[in-house]
Amino acid sequence: MESNDVEEEEFGFSRNYFLAKELRGSGKKSARKLSEINLVDEQELREAYANIEPKHEKEINDLLNTYKNSYSEWVFVLRCGFALLMYGFGSKKALMEDFASTALRDYSVVVINGYLQSVNLKQVAVTLAELLWDQLKTQRKSTLANLPKNQQPFHTRSMDDLISFLDGPHLEDDECFVCVLVNNIDGPGLRDSETQQYLARLAACSHVRMVASIDHVNAPLLWDKKMVHTQFNWYWYHVPTYAPYKVEGMFFPLILAHTGSAQTVKTASIVLQSLTPNAQSVFKVLADHQLAHPNEEGMPFNNLYTICRERFLVSSQITLNAHLTEFKDHELVKTRRNSDGEDCLYVPLTTEALEKLVQEISQ
Amino acid sequence: MDPAVDAPSSLLIPTAENNLQPFFVLHKASPPRKSAAKTRRRIDLSPKTSDSSTEESDDNLRLETFNFLWSNTESIIKDVLKNLNANVFDEIDKWVHVSFDAIRACRKLDCFSATSPYPILNSASIAAAGASRQIFTGLLFTKNMEFVDDILTFADLGVHLRSNGCYVANLTSLDFSAKSGVGGCLKILLRQFLMVGIDAPDMSILASWYTEQENNENPLVVIIDDVERCCASVLADFIIMLREWVVKIPIVLILGVATSFDALRNILCSNVCSYLSVREFTLGTPAERMDAVIEAVLLRSESFSIGKQVSTFLRNCFLRHDGTLTLFIRALKGFDGESILLRDIVLKRALNLPSLQRFCQPSAKLVDWASGLSELKRLRKLWSSTLLCLYEAGKYQKISLLDLYCEILEHDLCYSGASDHTQLAKDNIVSSHKNHLHGCLQREGYVVRAFRMVRDLPAVELCKLLSRWELLTRGIKEIHEKVKELQTLMKFEENRPKRDLKEASKKPTARNLINEKTDKTTGSEKVATFLQGMVRQYIQPVESIPYNEIVFFNNVDKLQTALIGDPRRRIQADLLESDKFLRCSCCSKNSGAPIPSMHDTSIMYSLAQEHGDLINLHEWFHSFKSIVSLPPLQAKKRPRPSPSPKKRKDSNEPQSRNDAQIQAAFCRAVTELQITGLLRMPSKRRPDYVQRVAFGL
Repeated sequence: MESNDVEEEEFGFSRNYFLAKELRGSGKKSARKLSEINLVDEQELREAYANIEPKHEKEINDLLNTYKNSYSEWVFVLRCGFALLMYGFGSKKALMEDFASTALRDYSVVVINGYLQSVNLKQVAVTLAELLWDQLKTQRKSTLANLPKNQQPFHTRSMDDLISFLDGPHLEDDECFVCVLVNNIDGPGLRDSETQQYLARLAACSHVRMVASIDHVNAPLLWDKKMVHTQFNWYWYHVPTYAPYKVEGMFFPLILAHTGSAQTVKTASIVLQSLTPNAQSVFKVLADHQLAHPNEEGMPFNNLYTICRERFLVSSQITLNAHLTEFKDHELVKTRRNSDGEDCLYVPLTTEALEKLVQEISQ
Repeated sequence: MDPAVDAPSSLLIPTAENNLQPFFVLHKASPPRKSAAKTRRRIDLSPKTSDSSTEESDDNLRLETFNFLWSNTESIIKDVLKNLNANVFDEIDKWVHVSFDAIRACRKLDCFSATSPYPILNSASIAAAGASRQIFTGLLFTKNMEFVDDILTFADLGVHLRSNGCYVANLTSLDFSAKSGVGGCLKILLRQFLMVGIDAPDMSILASWYTEQENNENPLVVIIDDVERCCASVLADFIIMLREWVVKIPIVLILGVATSFDALRNILCSNVCSYLSVREFTLGTPAERMDAVIEAVLLRSESFSIGKQVSTFLRNCFLRHDGTLTLFIRALKGFDGESILLRDIVLKRALNLPSLQRFCQPSAKLVDWASGLSELKRLRKLWSSTLLCLYEAGKYQKISLLDLYCEILEHDLCYSGASDHTQLAKDNIVSSHKNHLHGCLQREGYVVRAFRMVRDLPAVELCKLLSRWELLTRGIKEIHEKVKELQTLMKFEENRPKRDLKEASKKPTARNLINEKTDKTTGSEKVATFLQGMVRQYIQPVESIPYNEIVFFNNVDKLQTALIGDPRRRIQADLLESDKFLRCSCCSKNSGAPIPSMHDTSIMYSLAQEHGDLINLHEWFHSFKSIVSLPPLQAKKRPRPSPSPKKRKDSNEPQSRNDAQIQAAFCRAVTELQITGLLRMPSKRRPDYVQRVAFGL
C-alpha cells in the first residue's frame, strides 16, 4: 500500500510540474505542428501498418499459455453463476475465443463483436433462444412433453418474451445454458445505456452465462450497482495479453493519415473533377468566399444563390440545392448556424487545404 | 481439453469474416456425455469422499458442493432479511386492506358505469365522496441510498402482499423512462396484472379485467421501488392517469423512497402531490441488516467463516467503498466458490496442513483427522457464541456486530496472549477513560467498550442480558451452566439490594450508600469477569485452531481482485511495467527509461508521462522515433531530447525501422491508447494535440 502512495505522490508531482510548464508556455502554444512531420504516403503507411513487426512474440505466447492453466477455474466460476470479465492491456479476442472453443465445448457459444459500430441485440437474443431450444430438445428427448410443441417462432417474439424464455425454468436438476462471449462489451456498438441494460438482463437469465472483455479504463462507469451486483455478477480477471488490437482498431482513423491535409485535398479534388463544370463553379464561389472571409461562420444560402444566379451558374434554387446535396453527400460542404441564426454553408477544410484545392480544380 | 496439444499460434489466427459479423455462433453444444451425468448424481455431497480420478467429475463435485453450500447460505440470508422486514410488511398489508375498504365504501357503481370503458369523472356519487379521489400511497423509506440492497426487499414485499390476496405489480424506475413514456409503464402494468403482453395498452383493458373477472374483491397494489430515479413527468402522468380511474380500479401505490418525504415533493408538482394520500413506513437500516446477516451466516450457520483480512476488507467495502449489503453477499458467494477450490487443494494435501503438523503427530493421521474436525466444530461453536454474547452486551452502546467481528479477528492475540487478561482490560478501561476525556473515543476497542458496558449496567438490565445469554448459549454446556449460575446469583442479589434500598431511603447514611454500591458492583463485576473469562478462553487466534484452513478463509487478494476489478490502475500498470508481465530478458534491464525493444504502446505511454494534460503530437512522435531508432546496444543511453525532423538515413543502422514502419507503429500505438481510453483524439480546435485522460495509477 505504502509504495502505491509514494507512486501516486510522484505522479501527482510530475503532473503538476508538466502542467505548470504547459501553462508557462501557453503563449507560444503551437510550437510544433503535426503537419511538420515528414509523412510518408498514405498507401505506404497503410501497408506498413498492416505488416508491423510484432515484438516479444514468444513472451506473449508464453503469457497466453499460462492463462490456459486457468481455463478450468474459469469454467468453474462460470458454472457457479458468475460472469467473467476479462481486462488488462492487449486484445483478448483470441484468448477468449480459444477459451470458449477448448473449455466450453459442452455449451453453445455465441460471440458478439462489440468493437463493431452497431450490434442488433434482438437478433442475438433470437439466436440464443434458438440455441437454447435445440439444447433443451436434445437433453430432454425422453420427456419432450414438457416443452410446448407448436410455439411461436422466436424471431417474431418481443425482447421481453425472449428474455423470459431464456430466464424460464426449463430444467430442474441439470444445468443447461448458452454462453455469450462479448468482445469489448465497452465497444462503440454496445456503449449506449439501453444496450447495456439489455445485456445486463440477458446476463441475468438463468440459462445464459456471459464472458466479456473490456479495454477502456473507464468501462465500469457503464454500469450501475444493480447491474454489476445483481445482473452481470462480474468476476474480474486481469489478463493482459499485449496482443495487438488488430480487429478492434480497424475502424479507428490512423492519426498520421487523416490529419494531413494532402489526403483530403486529393480526395476532394477527385470528387469535384467528376462533377459538372457548373457544380465546380458553385463550389468555387463558396470556397472563394470562405478564403476571403476566413473568420466568418460561412456563407448564407441566399447569398450563395444570388451570386450563382448572377453568374448564370444556376437557374433556380432547386438546381442549387441539387448541387449542394451532392457536396454534402461527399462531405465537401457542411452547414452551421452563425450568430444571427442563419444557416451558413462552409467547406470543412483548413485555409491552406482549401487554397490547394481551389488551385487544383482551377487547372 | 489438453492445453499442450494446441499450438500457441492457433490462438492468434481468428477467421477473418467472423470478425466483421456483429455476432456469430462459435459452436453449438456438443451432445452431453452420459457418464458425467451419472457420476454427478452418485457423488456424496461431503467433500471428504472426493476420490474421483478424472478432472471432470472433480469439477462436477466441486460445483455440486458449491451449489449445496451457496443455496444453503442464500436461503439463510433471504430468511433473515425477510424476518427483519416482517413487521413492516404486516403493517403495510393491514394498511392496504384498510385503504381498499375505504375506496370501496364510497364506490357504489351502477351496472352501466361499471362496465363502460372510460373513467368516472363527474358522477354524483363521486362528488359526494370527494376525499376518495386521492390515491392511497404508502411511502416506504429504505434509509439506504443504495437501492440495490432493496431490490430483494421490494420483491419480498410483493410476495408477501400476494400471499395476502392482493394483485401486485412491481415496477422499477427504469420503467418510468422518458423514452417509453406513460404507455411503457402501462404496458408493464398490464403485463404483470393480466399476465399477457398487450400491444396497445389502455387503462380500460385493466378496468374491464378487474370488473369482469370477479377480481374485484381484492386490492391492486403497484410497487415502484426507487421513486427518486423515475422520470418526473412520466411519474406525474402515471399518477394523474391512476387518479382518473381510482374509483373503478382501486389501486394502492407503494413508493420506495431512499431519502425523505421531501423527495416526492421535489419530483412531483404540488398539484400531483395533492392527489396522493400518504402514509409512511420505514425499513431497518443497512447496518442492522448487515449485523443480522453476519449473525446468521457467519456465526450461527456452520458452513464457513471468514478470516481476519477478508473481514477487514469487507468491512472497509461496506463502510467506505461500496456501501451495499449486496456486495457483501456477493463476496460471500465468491467466497463460497473460492473456498471450494481452496478446500479441494487443502483436502488433497490435507495431511500437510501447517496447523495440523503443529498439533498432531504425523503418524496418527486418520484418527486425528476425524477428531480434529469435530474439535474444530466445537471450538467454532464456542467462538461464535462468545462473540454473540459480547454483541448482546455491546448492543447497549450500539456497537455493530460487524465492528465487533472484525475486531475480534484482528486483535485476537491481545486477548488470549496476555495471561492477566483482566488486568489488561482494566488498563484498557483506564486508558480509554482518559481517551474519552480527551474526546477520542475511536481509539478504544469495541470489545473493551462492551466489557465496560457490562460493568456499568443496572441490575435489571443485567438480568435481561443474562436471560438473553441463556437463550444464546443453549446447547453449549460449557457456557450455559455458568450463565445459569450467574442468573441465580443475580436473582439472589436483586432481592437483597431492594431491601437495602428501602432502608437506605429511610436513613441515608454514608455506609449504606457504599454498601449498595459494592453490592451492585459485585453483581455486574462478576458478570463482566465471566464475560472476560469467556473471551479469554474461547476467542483464540484463528490460526491456532487445527484445521482452521478448512473453515476460515483468508485469501483476500484473490477475492478482492475478483470482486472489484481495478481497470484504471491495472491497465496503466500493464503499460508502464510491461516487462513484469512479459518476463522478457531484454526489457527488464532498463531502469524506468523506455528502450527500443519494449512494446510500442508501452514506450508511447511512458513518454506520455512526461507531458501535462496535452501532448503535442509532433514532439511525441519525434521522441518515439528517437527511441525506436536507437540501436539496441545504445539503449541504455538517454535518447537525444529533440532530434531533427529530417529523414534519417538507415544505412548505418541496419536494425532500425524505416520511416513508414515507425509512423505505422506510432499510429497503432495511438489507436491502442485510444481504445484503452487513456487518450482523447485531437479536437478541431487543437489539431496538433492529443489529450491525456488518466493521471497517476
